[in-house]
This record gives sequence, structure tokens and C-alpha cells, in this order.
Amino acid sequence: METLKDAFDFSDFSRIERIILVLFSIFLLVFPWLGFGSFVKTVMIYFLLFSLFGMGWNTIGGYGGQVELGKAQYVGIGAYTVALLMVWWRIPFWVSMPIGVLIAIGYSFIIGYPLFRLKGHYFAIATICTSLVLQDIFINWKLVGAAKGIELPIRDHPDFLYMQFKSDTYYFYFIMALFYAALFYMNWFRKSRLGYQLRMIKDDEEAAESLGIDARWCKIKAYSIASAFVAVGGGFLAVYNLYIDPYSVMDLDLSIKIALMAMLGGAASMWGPIIGAAFLIPLDRFLGSWLGAQKGLIGVDFMIYAAMIMAVSAYQPRGIWGIIEQFRKRGA
Amino acid sequence: MGEGGGRKLPAMIILDAILQGILMGLLFALVALGLTIIFGVMDIVNFAHGEFLMIGMYAAYWTSLLLHVDPLVTLPASAVVGMLLGLASYYWLVKYLIRGPMIAQLFGTFGLMLFLRYLAQFLFGTDYRIIQKGLLVGKSLSLGPFILDWTKLSTAVLSLLAFLLVYYLLHRTKLGKALRATALNKEAAAYMGIRTDRMNAFAWMIGGGTVGIAGGLLVNFWYVYPTVGLLFLMIAFASVAMGGFGSIKGAFFAGIIIGMIEMLFPVFGHLIGWDFLGPQFKFTVVYFAYFIIVVLRPQGLFGWKR
Repeated sequence: METLKDAFDFSDFSRIERIILVLFSIFLLVFPWLGFGSFVKTVMIYFLLFSLFGMGWNTIGGYGGQVELGKAQYVGIGAYTVALLMVWWRIPFWVSMPIGVLIAIGYSFIIGYPLFRLKGHYFAIATICTSLVLQDIFINWKLVGAAKGIELPIRDHPDFLYMQFKSDTYYFYFIMALFYAALFYMNWFRKSRLGYQLRMIKDDEEAAESLGIDARWCKIKAYSIASAFVAVGGGFLAVYNLYIDPYSVMDLDLSIKIALMAMLGGAASMWGPIIGAAFLIPLDRFLGSWLGAQKGLIGVDFMIYAAMIMAVSAYQPRGIWGIIEQFRKRGA
Repeated sequence: MGEGGGRKLPAMIILDAILQGILMGLLFALVALGLTIIFGVMDIVNFAHGEFLMIGMYAAYWTSLLLHVDPLVTLPASAVVGMLLGLASYYWLVKYLIRGPMIAQLFGTFGLMLFLRYLAQFLFGTDYRIIQKGLLVGKSLSLGPFILDWTKLSTAVLSLLAFLLVYYLLHRTKLGKALRATALNKEAAAYMGIRTDRMNAFAWMIGGGTVGIAGGLLVNFWYVYPTVGLLFLMIAFASVAMGGFGSIKGAFFAGIIIGMIEMLFPVFGHLIGWDFLGPQFKFTVVYFAYFIIVVLRPQGLFGWKR
């Protein structure tokens, strides 16, 4: 009971933060009724989805301080499990999604065990490698649709069991529920034993080990938590898009985007991944549709995006949240 | 590779693959050289390295096309473009990144990678381009049962030359010795009056220059397109990890070994009858090899620092 209370206890945040959180929640609740077009709705759904991804990444990448660049493979595992189980045996989303999460957790332990022998650059590159290997296998594996990908069979009418709806509003509320589950979990996580252990490992791994913390095991646990989060999002992606292929759900760009959002917003902070996603997803989408539509300007959106990454890395590695905190300290 | 020659003995197929692998591997070694020098001197992994290669390829392609000269003559252009790119990256970006934590350095060079990739896409489009005219393009040399493309052969020889030249530069000249001293111990080198800032810039210049040359050579037989860099980046990572991060000798031998793995793997799959392990997985094996190497032997085959 005590731990459950921790998840809903936001009292250690400042007043402004809590007010913003409440206002933001109200905004999300009424958002579908504000009369925005389908494009804006899609952007909002992707924003919530990537916040979910980012919060997952934040456990290992932010609190644990491990530069993890292979999250896309777990998006892929989640998405493919949902899609394949539906195509092969008509298994509903609510059964296949947990199975996908379990597979992702199992796989993350298998990969994580050798992976966390590594540190620093070696680790970062190795995570990319594991993701690329899995993507290559899926691109060439005929059984799972190879490079063509899989199309999910469309139900005749909206079906809650298979999470197929006509309107984006339902998807929006579903991803919003997942978002809040993740938010409360993260609020619990940062105050949990594992959360403190990870921060200690990040600060000084040797000191943490001398205090009896099994650093490698802690990292593996955090890694599998992150993988579970991402696999949930992957499952959602499959039913939302009704089509997946190895390039859309397992690409390196996706892994990078996930890590980048958390870092740009501010890694190892509660709001960082959400701020990062709120910033990058609309930018990505609007720039993409605005500049991409203009002939001859293809790629300019990504150049702006890349320039921002470089600027943030060079001047404020703690991200947008770091800038906010800097201002706050000056103000106080 | 094995195809084309009709019926061949397995031994000949394997020997052929090894030969082709060595030719490719010499180029991989040159690509890895820049990465390993930069890592050795600054402890920073340059994610934009593959994009440097891509820019080098475009530089050779456009010079040869616009000036109507043979692609082999355009190598200096690629080298100069690569060097300038390296210097610009150092002075405009990396200098600021090294003050931050490792994650910022990773994302910083990653941002550079995306920037260069989409700059190339913006400027040149997504077309696949390759040099089609040239002294050596399309010609091959038969050595008994082996058929070697002249472009690949000359690329291998020139890669080897470039590698040896840089090796000489680093081991025999005063400048090179200063660079290696900086790599071994930054503080001690600074006490000896070596300006480490300059050495960092020098490392980026050499790194960019060598990979630019590699790009200029590669475009003779490999299509250039904006995202070509990632594959070579991963190959370079694997070579550098195998040879030991920062080791120059290691990068050389590891590059050749990676080249041979890449060529031998499909042959191996074919010979034992597992055709699903075909050439489509030849680079997957390289990624896998990286993973196995760093897990089992993090210091690499020729471990140098730490």
C-alpha cells in the first residue's frame, strides 16, 4: 500500500509544476472535443506515444546514465507480437500485447546479460548493433513478412478486443491511459530502491559496488523495465497504424529519436522526456509536412532538427529542463 | 565472389573469397583509421565518420564529373574536402562537446551525422550515383582462376599506400609523435609543451582526410547516396573494436579480418548448404562480430590503451 501511495504522491514537486500538471491533464481530457483536425490529433497521439517511449528510456538512460541506443528492437518486438498473433491465430490485442511485453522482457534479459559487461562508448555501439542484427533478421525472415511487413486484418466494425476504432479519439484516450500509467509508474520508480541505486551507479559505479549494490544486475533490471515500456508502445503502434514493417518499427532512427527526446528534454528528470516529446514531435511533424511538401526542400526539416541536437549537446547537455532549472536558480 | 565461374572447387571459392576480402578489407582499414585516431587522441566516438566517407564519395564523384577527369585523379579533392570537414567539425562543434558528459558527445556527433546526411540529400537528392567512366571502371584482371576488378585492386593498393603514409607520419615525424603523446597522456603532453588543442584539431584533420580518400576510392565501385554512411560506420566501429579502440595497427589487421568475414560468410553458408545464410546477412555478421568481440575481449585483439 505504501508503495502505491508513492506513485500518486507528487508533493515533492514545486507548486508550479503541480499546477501545470493538473492544467495539462485537463487539457488532455478535453482535447478531442476542442475541434482540432485529424492531423493535430495524430500529432497528439504520437506525442503521447513518444513520451511513453521516452519515460521508458529514462529509467536506464536517464536515471541509470547508460547511453542506450537500441530501443527500436523492443518497439519491433511489441509491434510484431501483436500483429503476428492477430494474423496467425486471431488473438485479441489485450492478450497479445502482454505476451509481447513478456517476450520483450525475456529478450532484454538475454541481451542485457552480456551487454552490461560493457561501459561507455562500447556499450552505446553494442546496443546499436543488437538492434541492427534483429532488424536484418526481420527484413529477411519470410515467415514474418520480410521487408514487405505485415498488414493487420481490418475488422468489419469497431472492435474493442482488437483495438480497432473508426475515430482517432478512442486511440487518443487509450494512449492517454497508457501515458498516465507510465507517469505514475515513473513517479514511483524515481523514489524506489532501484531508482536510488541507479542514480548512485550513475554518479560513481565503484562506490556503489563497494556499498554492496550489484551494479550490473540493477542495470539489467532497469533495461528490462525500459524494454517493457517500449514494447507496450510498439503494440499500440501496430494496432494504430494497422501496418508494420522492419523499417518503420525497428529502424535505428527510431532508437535515436527515443533517446534524443529524453535527452533534449532533460534526462534523469521526471518531466524531461515529456518536454522533449512535446517539443520534437510537433516540430518533426509540422516541419515534415510543411517543408516536405515544398519541392526541393526535402531534408531541410531534418537539418534543422540536427542543428538543434548539436546546439543542445554543445551548450546545455542537461537539456531543456536543465535550462529551466538554471533560470529558476537565478530567479531564487 | 563465388558466382560466375561456373563449377569451381570449394577450395578455390574460399581462396577467391579470401582474396576479395583482403581487397575490401584494405579499404575498411583506411575507413577505420580515422575513427581510431580520433578515438585514441580524444576518447570521443565520431558518429559522423560514415557521413565523412559519404561526403568524400560525393566530392570525388562531382569533381570527376564536372572537370571531366579520371576518378583516380580526384583523390586529392576528396582528401582536401575530408580534411576541411574534419577541421570544421572540430572547431565548430567538437571543441564545445568535449566539455560535456559522454552522452552529450555521442548525441553531438550524432547530430552532425544527421546534419551531413540530410545536407547531402538536400543538395544532391536521393539518387544512387556511381562513377561510370574511367580508366579502370568495368575492367578486370584475370589471374589464373581468379578475376579481380581493376577498380578494387587499385583501391586496395592505394588504401594500403595511404595507410602506410599516415602510419609513417604518426610514427616517424615530430608532429606524429606529438599526436601519439597526446593520445597516451594528455596532461603529460601538455606539460611537455604540446598544444593539445592543436593536436585534437590535427587528429580530426587526419581522420577526415583519410576517410575522404577512402570515399574517393570507394565511389569507383560502390553507389553513393545520402545514407550510405551508416553501413561503413558500423564496419568501422567493428574494425576499431576488434583492433582495440585507439590502436592503429589493430585497425589495419581488423579491417582485413572484417573484409574476409564479410566475403567468406556467404560462401560458408553456401558450402554447408544453408542458403538462408546468404549474402543478405554479410553485414549482419559484422555487427554480430562487434558484439561478440567487445563482450569477450573489450581491449580488442591488439589492446593498446586501458
